[in-house]
Amino acid sequence: MTALTLQLLAPPSPRIDLSAFTPDGLAGQSADEVRRLPLWVGNQQVETGDLFRVTGDDTDAILIRSDSDRLDGIGTGMTRGSIRVEGRAGAYLGRRQRGGAIAVTGDAGPFAGSGMSGGTIRIGGDAGDFLGAAIAGERRGMRGGRIEVLGNAGDRVGDHQRRGQILINGNAGDYCGSRMVAGTILVLGRTGINTGLAMRRGTLLLTAEPNLPPTFNDNGTQQLAFLALLTRDLATAGGPFEQLKSRGTRVRRWLGDLGYGGQGEVLVWG
Amino acid sequence: MLTKLAGGRLYDPAHGINGEVRDLYLRDGQILAKAPFGETPGRTYDLAGKLVMAGAIDLHTHIGGGKVNIARTMLPEDQRALVRTRTALTRTGGGHAAPSTFAAGYRYAEMGYTTAFEPAVLPVNARQAHMEMADTPMLDTGGYAMLGSDELLLQLMSEGVGQEVINNYVAWSLHAAQCIGIKVVNPGGISAFKFNARSLDVDERHPHYPLTPRDIVRTLSRAVFELGVPHPLHVHASNLGIPGNHTATLATMDAAEGFPIHLTHIQFHTYGTEGDRHFSSAAGEIAQAVNARKNVSIDVGQVMFGQTVTVSGDTMRQYANHHHAHPRKWTCMDIECDAGCGVVPFRYRDQNFVNALQWAIGLELFLMVDDPWRVFLTTDHPNGAPFTSYPRLIRLLMDRGFRNDQLARINPEAAAMSCLGSLEREYSLYEIAIMTRAAPARILGLADRGHLGAGARADITVYHQLDDPEQTFARPMLVFKDGEVVVEDGAVTRVVGGGTQVVRPEFDPAIELRIGRWFDRYHSIRMANFRISDTEMADGIGSPVTVHPCRPRGVA
Repeated sequence: MTALTLQLLAPPSPRIDLSAFTPDGLAGQSADEVRRLPLWVGNQQVETGDLFRVTGDDTDAILIRSDSDRLDGIGTGMTRGSIRVEGRAGAYLGRRQRGGAIAVTGDAGPFAGSGMSGGTIRIGGDAGDFLGAAIAGERRGMRGGRIEVLGNAGDRVGDHQRRGQILINGNAGDYCGSRMVAGTILVLGRTGINTGLAMRRGTLLLTAEPNLPPTFNDNGTQQLAFLALLTRDLATAGGPFEQLKSRGTRVRRWLGDLGYGGQGEVLVWG
Repeated sequence: MLTKLAGGRLYDPAHGINGEVRDLYLRDGQILAKAPFGETPGRTYDLAGKLVMAGAIDLHTHIGGGKVNIARTMLPEDQRALVRTRTALTRTGGGHAAPSTFAAGYRYAEMGYTTAFEPAVLPVNARQAHMEMADTPMLDTGGYAMLGSDELLLQLMSEGVGQEVINNYVAWSLHAAQCIGIKVVNPGGISAFKFNARSLDVDERHPHYPLTPRDIVRTLSRAVFELGVPHPLHVHASNLGIPGNHTATLATMDAAEGFPIHLTHIQFHTYGTEGDRHFSSAAGEIAQAVNARKNVSIDVGQVMFGQTVTVSGDTMRQYANHHHAHPRKWTCMDIECDAGCGVVPFRYRDQNFVNALQWAIGLELFLMVDDPWRVFLTTDHPNGAPFTSYPRLIRLLMDRGFRNDQLARINPEAAAMSCLGSLEREYSLYEIAIMTRAAPARILGLADRGHLGAGARADITVYHQLDDPEQTFARPMLVFKDGEVVVEDGAVTRVVGGGTQVVRPEFDPAIELRIGRWFDRYHSIRMANFRISDTEMADGIGSPVTVHPCRPRGVA
C-alpha cells in the first residue's frame, strides 16, 4: 500500500474545492476511480485526472503535492486517517475536521481549522488569517482538536474559538483571540493590536507583552501552579513546543475583556 | 404554432371543470376557446391520465424586498447548506429558508408555480423589491405596498382629512410603488414601537397619534374598496404570536366594517389561553368567524417543522420574539420611517409544545374553514416554513391517514389539545386547484390566469397522478409558461423571465402637492425619484408591467 497521491499538474487559475478528497470521502476507491471524480474549475466541471496525476492506493493516507495556494477545503470534515500536503494549502484547510491528522509542509491559506472539533493540523509554514476562527454566519470557531503552526499566523487567530488548542511558533497578527469563548491559544512570537478583543473566556498564553484593549485588567505577576499542567498538555515531542515547561509557572496576568464578562485570561511569561 | 394538450384530466375551478378529460389548445402564449378548424397542431402532448391545472399562484411569499436580503446576508450558512449547482441552463444559487432569487424562481417553477406575490413592499423599498423579483426567474411577480405605520398616513388621519384624501394617497402609493394591493402590518404598531410602545391592541390608542389600529384598518379597507382595487386590504393583524390574540383577530375582522379584508398568516393570530400552559388553539372560533363573514378571506401561514427564518415588517413583535432566535442572531430596524423590519431565524420543533400546536392550529384552520375560495395555501414563506414544503402540506390536507400519522409524532401534550385528529375532511384535487389557482387569481383580480378558459395566458401545470400527493405536487410532468414548456419532469428546461402585475386605480393628482411637501420636509429623496415609472420597470429593472383592471371607483 502506498499513499494515494495527487500531484498537481499545473497551477489552476480559479480556486479548486478539494473538500471531497478525504480518507472518509475516498474510502474504497482506486486511483482510477479517483481520477474520474468531478471537480469544478471555475464554472466548468472536469475530471480530477485532468488536474492531478493520481497514483497509489491507500486512501487512509492521502498525499497532495502542490505549489498552488488555490486548493481549498483540504481535509474538510475528515474523521480519521491522514492527509499530508507537500507544498501549500489553500483556504479552509481542515474545515470542520473531526479527527485524523493533517500536515502541510508549507503555508496554509485563511480559515485553516475553522469549525474543527477534533484531530490535528500541523502547518510547517505560515497560516493565513482566521486560523481556527468562525466563518461568516457561524457563531463558533474551532470547537476542539489541535492546530500547530511553525511559522506565523495572520489576523483573527481563534476568532469565536470555543475549545481546542492553537499553538503558534512565530507571530500572530491583530485581534488574536478576539471574541474567544473558550480554549487555548499559545503564541511564542509577538501579537498585534487588540489582542483578546471581546474575549469572554479562554486562555492566551504569550511570551511578549501584548497590545490589549483598555478593557483588560492587569492582575500583576503571579505564580500559577496550573501552568505546569497546561504546558505538559500543550507540549509535543520534537519541534518548538517541546520545552514549554522550562518557561516556568510565573506569568503576568490580565483578565478581560471586561465588556464581555471579563473571564478571559492573557498570561505572559516574563 | 398551435400546441395541443391531448386527453388530460382538467381541474379548472374557475369554470367548474372538475377532472373532466378534455383537450386544450394553445397558441401565441394563450389558451384557445376551441380547436381551430382544420388545422393540425405543430406539437401534441399526450396527457392521458395526467392532471392538468393552471399554473399555481402564491399570493403571499416573501421572495423580494429588503428583509429577505437581510435574511440572506445574516444567514450565509443557510446559503451554504443547500447549493444548486450550475447547469448549462440554470445559474447557481442556494438557500433553504431564504433562497437566492435564482434558487427561488427555479424551485417555484419546478413545483408548478408561475406567479408569486411579495406581500410586504415598503414603498421606499419598492425599487429594490422589484429588482429582486425581476431577478427571480420563471415567475410573474407583484407586490403589496405596505401602509399603515407610515408617518404620512398617520399624520393625515390624525389631521382628520376626509376619506377621499386617504383614497388618493393610497392610490398614489400603488402607482408610485408599482404594486397590486395594499398591505397593513400590525396597524400602527410598527410606528408605536418607535414611540416605545411594546404592544398595541386593536382598540388601544397609538402613543403619539390619536388613532387606534381599528381606525387604520377601517380607513384603509374602505380606501382599497372605494378605489376599486380587486384585492382586499391585506392585513397582518395586531398581537402576532401572543396567546389570546384571537380576540384581536376577531376585532380586526370587524374593524373592516363589512369592507373586504384579507387576514394573512392567520395561524399566527389564532391562539387562545386555555390549558395548563395558557396556550391553546382558537381555530374553532376563528374558522367560525371566517365562515360567517363573507367579506373575510384568509391565508394560513402554516408552520412546518425545521429550520427557517422569520422576516416581518412587524418590528414590535419581532423584537418581542428575538430571544427565540435560533441560531442566536437577529436584527430589527426602522426603514426610513415608512415602517420597520425584523429578521429572526427560528427552528420549529415537533417536540416543542408551542411549535407542535402551531402546526396543528394551521391544519385545523385549513380543515374548518368551509369555503376553499376564501382560504389560501401559504406557509408565509419563510416565516412558517420555506415554500418548498408546499407539496408536503398538500399531502397533509389531502390524506387524513398521513395527517394522523404525523399528529401521532408531535408533542403529545399539543396533540391532545388539538381537535385535528377528529377532523375527517380531506381536500380534493379540485379544492387544491381552487386554493392554489382559481381563488388567488380571483381575489387578486387577475382575469388572465388561474384558469384554463379561452384567452387565459397559457401558464399550465401538468402533474402525474400518483398515490402520494406530495410526490404529485413536488415534481410536475410539464410546466408551461406563456405557452412554452419551461419544466419537464420537475427540472427546469427553459429559463424565462416574468413581468410585474399591478393595478392603477384613478386618483386626483392634486394629492401630490401634499405628498410632495411631506417629501421635501422629511424624506431622504424627492418624490419624483421615489416614484417608479413604467419605463424604469421595463428597461432599468427588467420586469415590464402588466396592468390589471380595477372596478370602477366605489362600485361593489
